[in-house]
Amino acid sequence: MLSRLHWWTSSRTLAAPARLFSQTPIVPAKPLPPRLKISDADISISYLKGTGPGGQKINKTNSAVQIIHKPSGVVVKCQATRSQSQNAKIARSLLADKIEALENGDNSRVAIKAAAAKKKKASKMKKTRRKYRELGEGAKEGGIEEEEDEVEIIWDDDVKEGETKETESETGGGGEAKSEVPGKGV
Amino acid sequence: MICIYIYISLSLLASTGGISWHQRSSTTTRIPMMPRIPFSVIIKAQRENHLLPILLKECRTIDSARNELRWLRERAVRDSQSLSSKTGWRSRLRSMCQMRSRGYPLQYILGDQPFGHLEILCRRGVLIPRPETESYTYQAAKLVRQMARGCNDKSESPNQARPLRVIDLCTGTGCISLLLHALLAPHFQKLEIVAVDISPTALGLAQENLKHNLQMGQLASSAGTDIHFHCADVLRYGCNNSVPSIESILQIQLPNFGASDTSPPVQESGCDLLISNPPYISQTEFRNGTTARSVRRFEPKLALVPPHSGSGVEDCMPEDIFYHRILTLAFKLRAKLTVLECGDSHQASRVVALHNRLASTESGQFSAEVWPSRERDLAENGFHATDGSRCVIIQALQ
Repeated sequence: MLSRLHWWTSSRTLAAPARLFSQTPIVPAKPLPPRLKISDADISISYLKGTGPGGQKINKTNSAVQIIHKPSGVVVKCQATRSQSQNAKIARSLLADKIEALENGDNSRVAIKAAAAKKKKASKMKKTRRKYRELGEGAKEGGIEEEEDEVEIIWDDDVKEGETKETESETGGGGEAKSEVPGKGV
Repeated sequence: MICIYIYISLSLLASTGGISWHQRSSTTTRIPMMPRIPFSVIIKAQRENHLLPILLKECRTIDSARNELRWLRERAVRDSQSLSSKTGWRSRLRSMCQMRSRGYPLQYILGDQPFGHLEILCRRGVLIPRPETESYTYQAAKLVRQMARGCNDKSESPNQARPLRVIDLCTGTGCISLLLHALLAPHFQKLEIVAVDISPTALGLAQENLKHNLQMGQLASSAGTDIHFHCADVLRYGCNNSVPSIESILQIQLPNFGASDTSPPVQESGCDLLISNPPYISQTEFRNGTTARSVRRFEPKLALVPPHSGSGVEDCMPEDIFYHRILTLAFKLRAKLTVLECGDSHQASRVVALHNRLASTESGQFSAEVWPSRERDLAENGFHATDGSRCVIIQALQ
C-alpha cells in the first residue's frame, strides 16, 4: 500500500513537471566530460522478436532492441518503449555510458554523476541528523529552562517549530491512547 | 494463511491455465498455438502485481506482460489526468487489462502504434501496422534514394522536371505512405504519393493520421498536398460497382498511364515506387491456428484474407491473387521499383516465380529478390529467422 502511494505521488510529479522561470540553462560547477560517440561500424543492432512468426498473422507488441559493441563485446538490451527506433536510441545512449565507464573508470560521466549524487545525499543526511539533534536539545533546554529568553532569533524559530511538532505528536499519541480504551473495555 | 494461498493459486489455475487447456483440447490435430503457462510463472506474476496474471493470458510470457502493464498504466494515469473523468486510473487500468486478456489488441486499447518516428492512430476495423512493414519501408526508401543518385549521375539533370511518384496499394492506416514521405521529403523537391484502399474506414483513419502527424510536427508541411488517399478496388477490373477500379483512379492521377499502351516509344515510367502490403493469409491458415487469436477475432478480415473468387485468375494460389494483380499493374505502370510484403518465405518465392513467368512476355530486364535473405539480415531487420513475413523487391534494370 505504501509503495503504491509512493508510486502514485511520483507519477503525479512526473506527469506535470515544474517549469523553470529562468531561461538561462543551469550550468554545473564542474562540466562533465563529453559523451562518447560510437561509430556505426563498431556495433550490430538486432531487433528481437519474441516467439513465433510475425507479419499479418501475429500482432506483436514487443519491440526490444539489442546492441552488441563488437570491439568490447558489451551487450545492451532495451524494451522501454513500444517504438523500435526509440528503443534503439535509448540502447545506444546506454551503451555509450557503459563503454565510457569501462574505458575511463572513475573519471567517466556515470561515475562522476554517481559520486555527485552520493555526496548530495550524504550532505542531506548530515543536515537532517543535525536538525533533529538540535531539535532534541532545544526541547530539553526548553523543558528545563522555560524562563530563559536569551536565544538567537533563528534558533528561536527552530525551537518553535519543534514545539509545534511535538505537540502534534502528543495529540496523536493521545488519540491512540483513547482509541485503545474501548478496545480494552471490550 | 496457507489456505488463502492455495485458494489464490486454484483460482488462478481456473482463470489462466484453463484457457490454454481448452484451446489445446479443441485443436488436437492442429499446431498447439498456446502452450500451457507453468504455475510457477503465474504465482510469480501474482506476487509481483495482481494484474499481471490477467495480462499473462494474452501475452504468454512474464516479460511482455510486464511491459504491457507498464504501457497500460502510463496511459491510464495520463488519461485520468487529462480527461478528469470520474473513474480513477486504477479502475481504468483494471478494465484495460481485462480487455487485453480477452485478446483485444493493445494498439486498439491505447489508440496508437509507433511506426518509425511517426505515431499512427489505430482503431477497430483497420489493420495495425507491423514492425516488419516498418523495416521494409525503410529499405524501400533507401533503394529509392540509391536509384535517384544513380539517375542523377547519368543524366546530370536534377529531378525537378518530374516529381518522384509513389503508389501505395492497400494502405490501411496510411502508415507506409506517411513514413515514406517523412523519409523521402528531405531528398526530393517534388513528391507525389497516391495511396489506395477499398475500405472507407481505413481511408478516414489514414486522413486522420496525416493530420495527426502534421500537428505533431513529424511530417513536412508539404505532406498535406503531396499525399492523396483514394478509395478503389485493386482486384476488380471493371467499374460496375460503387467502388471504382484502380485503373480509373490511376488514369486521373497519372496523365500518361493510358497512353503508354498505344505509344511504345514513350519510355517514361508511370511511377518510381509501387509498394503494397496486401491481404495474404489463405483461408486455411486463417482458421488452423497459424493466425493468432487476437488477430483473428479483432482485426478486419478484409485486410488479412483475399476474397474467395477473385477476378478469374487461375494460374496462382487463391491467397496470391493480389500479387498477380499488382505485378501486372507494375508492368503497365513501368514501375522502377516494386516492393511487396509476403506471409512467409514460401509465398515470397512463389511471388518471385510468378513475376518471372509474367516478365517473360514483357520487354525489359528485371531483378527480383526476397528480402531479407540471409540469416544475419533477418535478425538485424527484425524479421523472424525461420518463419514469418518476408518482402519481395523487384527492380527494373535500365
